[in-house]
Amino acid sequence: MLRATLLAVAVAPLAGCDLFESEPEPVASPDPLAPLLAGTLDLAARHEAAIAAYPELAGRLTPVLEAHRQHAADLAKLTGAATPSPAATTPAATPAGDVKATLAALRTAEQQGQKSAADACLAAPAERAALLGSISAARATHLEVVR
Amino acid sequence: MTTLADALAAEHAAIYAYGPIGARLTAAAVTAARSAEAAHRSRRDALILKLTGEGATPAPAAPAYTLPFPVTDQASALRLAVEIEDRTAAVWRGCLPTTTGTDRATALAGLTDAAVRATRWRRAAALTPATVPYPGRP
Repeated sequence: MLRATLLAVAVAPLAGCDLFESEPEPVASPDPLAPLLAGTLDLAARHEAAIAAYPELAGRLTPVLEAHRQHAADLAKLTGAATPSPAATTPAATPAGDVKATLAALRTAEQQGQKSAADACLAAPAERAALLGSISAARATHLEVVR
Repeated sequence: MTTLADALAAEHAAIYAYGPIGARLTAAAVTAARSAEAAHRSRRDALILKLTGEGATPAPAAPAYTLPFPVTDQASALRLAVEIEDRTAAVWRGCLPTTTGTDRATALAGLTDAAVRATRWRRAAALTPATVPYPGRP
């Protein structure tokens, strides 16, 4: 008991003198790509929900879903975020209405996602530009099949 | 990594390839090939203007290009169209790390348009899947 108290007293001043205390915590500054990763997980969840509600769309949407999952895994790796597992993705709302309305909602989401990825590509340092450019281009191609 | 001069060389080659491609296509596919060729010409012209404006002397097109395989029918024409767009996408993608600002926006548009056309040609050729996770990535 006494020993523990002494230790606590001894450690406290050291922490106060820590040269790095004024440095920002690494976790306090999220990677600028964090919103894009979140949006990518959302796109994957939307496609997953659409396939669950309308299995007849599986042939069309599965390659797109897999692309989003791969993008999410690579963005997580790049930004040092925990690799998201499919089960950990947020459950998307049940697709509204019918097949037509579901596809229309997916198209809108892909268009917004394409723009987000394009903006991220244009703002990125050189070493991230190619990956982000391909993600943006992939979303443009999704509009050709999500219909 | 590539430069805008490499992108110009890719656009020259794409324009050349759409000649034999268009000759073997029918109906709606011909219209799509003409529109793709026009898009490549317009990218080529913009690149020539841009490079000339910077004081460079843009390389002209080669008199002829060796096609990766013979184009003998509609199926091989569609396959070549996919191949040409994939190659063009790869060159534009390679320009992304070497450019900034409006030049990077140009490269991204070049990559995106080529990727979309490659997907359309895959659909026309009934190749599945019509999309790839990372367009332009080797």
